[in-house]
Amino acid sequence: MSIRFENLQFTYFEDRKPVLTQVSAEFDASEVTVLTGASGCGKSTLLYLAAGLYPHAAGLVQAGRVTVEGQVPGDLAPPERARLVGMMFQNPELQFCMDTVRNELIFCLENLRTDPAEIEAKLRAALDFCGIAHLEHRTLLSLSGGERQKVMLACLTAIGPRWLLLDEPFANIDEDSARAIAAGLGRLHRERGVGILAVDHRLDSWLDVADTVRVLDGGQLLPDVLDARNLDAARLEALGIIVPGASYAPSLPPAAPGDVVLELRHLSLRHRENAVLRDVNASFRRGCIYAVVGPSGCGKSSLFGALSGLFPYEGEALLEGRSLRKLRRADLGKIGFVTQNPQDQFVGGTVRKEILTSLRKDPDAMARSEEILRGIRLWRYRDISPYMLSQGQQRRLGVAALMAYDCRCLVCDEPTYAQDRRSTMAIMDALCRLARERGVALIFSTHDRQLARDYADEILELKEGTLRAVAEPRV
Amino acid sequence: MRSLNPACKFIGLLAATFVLASRRDPVWNLAAFVLSMAAILLARVRVRTLLLLLLPVALAALGMFFTGYRFAADGSMPVRADIFLVGGSRLWNGMLQASRVLAYAGLGYAFALTTDRIRMVRSFQRQFHVPQVFAYGLLAAWGVFPHMAQEFRRTRAAFRARGIRVLPFSPALLAPLLVKSVRWSEELSVAMESKGFSGKAVRSDFAPIRVQARDWAFLVVCCLALPAAAIWL
Repeated sequence: MSIRFENLQFTYFEDRKPVLTQVSAEFDASEVTVLTGASGCGKSTLLYLAAGLYPHAAGLVQAGRVTVEGQVPGDLAPPERARLVGMMFQNPELQFCMDTVRNELIFCLENLRTDPAEIEAKLRAALDFCGIAHLEHRTLLSLSGGERQKVMLACLTAIGPRWLLLDEPFANIDEDSARAIAAGLGRLHRERGVGILAVDHRLDSWLDVADTVRVLDGGQLLPDVLDARNLDAARLEALGIIVPGASYAPSLPPAAPGDVVLELRHLSLRHRENAVLRDVNASFRRGCIYAVVGPSGCGKSSLFGALSGLFPYEGEALLEGRSLRKLRRADLGKIGFVTQNPQDQFVGGTVRKEILTSLRKDPDAMARSEEILRGIRLWRYRDISPYMLSQGQQRRLGVAALMAYDCRCLVCDEPTYAQDRRSTMAIMDALCRLARERGVALIFSTHDRQLARDYADEILELKEGTLRAVAEPRV
Repeated sequence: MRSLNPACKFIGLLAATFVLASRRDPVWNLAAFVLSMAAILLARVRVRTLLLLLLPVALAALGMFFTGYRFAADGSMPVRADIFLVGGSRLWNGMLQASRVLAYAGLGYAFALTTDRIRMVRSFQRQFHVPQVFAYGLLAAWGVFPHMAQEFRRTRAAFRARGIRVLPFSPALLAPLLVKSVRWSEELSVAMESKGFSGKAVRSDFAPIRVQARDWAFLVVCCLALPAAAIWL
């Protein structure tokens, strides 16, 4: 009852460096294992191989093999493979092919040739297990990222594979929901004997459930098997892993609050019949850092979407006293956006062009773009499409591209989503320095309360459609 | 109309369009249009939605009317215009062209607005034996359409956030959309496969879409009664 990697070597392109080198390990179904490591180190790739999706979908196995309970998953037909291993992906938007939650679950069960008489009961059990019975008839398009992840978990629960492979399952879910689902996964493991192998940068939500933690570094699995219930903080920090409950200890210059740059007055927003935001009032000053927190689906992305012009809203949003709806051409770009999914903000054909777009008024653009790309460790990828980078690398590029642009207010939706500790700190330090040095009002949303406490001058909680300060402002 | 089997509805309405094509008669066309509108309204489609959808159709009908009016060929008219109490063959020809637009649009909307897409694909798969890889691929692609509109707005917002104003169909705007759509299709197919979907494997059917008595009745009316009436009347 195990997943076994034997001297595995894998590459996406034959002429490039392998993503995984000589990976040998055995993960036992009796333990819940969390695989962690830096962004782009090959964690997701390892899961795709165990799920039998690679090398069919992409890449090349240069040596070795993967077996799940003695079977090579890639050799099985999809229905048999789904019963053996279920996988949850990083991007919650592209995991469904039907319109509603109910239809998606039915689709999964039909694929496995489930007796139609049993489908209703199995569907209900899966929804109850994930605590999303209220979403049954909702369209998938109307769900938040966190809710979609919960639906995906419900799909996996309904399919009932012998192994669950989870790729950053809580990246888009608030802490309470993450702990609740982790507890449910633990029950699934204990009561039904489902083996769990998860990839996660954050270990917080797994502390009560996981047995062991393994670290992947530069395409190689480190020999250390860490006990999840007795983690050595110093060892984790040395490995570049986010230490649960530990401060990020940023060293930021003190805030010097400037004028109000962005003001929200009685802002409200509806998605069809649902009121997402109700009478949001807030003002944001230059040089200050604001964290927006709140449970999954509370409307953080909708608020930022309204400011970027994606969703119509009522009330007023004023940028330096001028309505955002009536910004002049010259004022476009005074408010920058780092989106939750970095792919949503790419405008350049290559990694370098992405940075150059932001620097087009800079006479020394070529040299500065090189400096920026070297700083975020993407110089060697300068001539490839931004879409070919790993999700963590895309995030770094997205943040760097917006930082290169001269804006007055920078709105970042989950800027550290799916980042390891080192990248999280690098991104936040850079953003916060930008806010302080250039007098930019920085507004970021996060599910990581520790991050909000450590970096923000003011924490605002979005709850029941309204925005409230949850702590006394530091400035 | 909503409860009709989508495959039967499709065949019935297609037969009706062939019948209308064989007749050069505005009365038949207008009758088809009125019946279609009645069926849509009885299926509780929002009146506002319907009116918005009819706006371009009305414009097209108006255009066709004037085209027919301007380019009428009097000698080729198959029926005598005076039977229908219209002033002349030009007016008759204009009405014929305009009413055709209304009739075809009406029948098309009657199908599109009263048919659930999931039921339609399941019905086509069962009744027309459409391969399941095509049927579910179509459904997945359909699910991406609303994303496309959203992505279009997101991409425009991304350009705006960098201080770049782009026209709606600028190549700069379409390139990221094209890349995204290719990646979406890859990710979707991988996600479907990981949920056990295979183009070849047999699946169970939770709610099979069957042909019932009312569907046969609809087919008889559209495929037999209507052509018979068109011949005799």
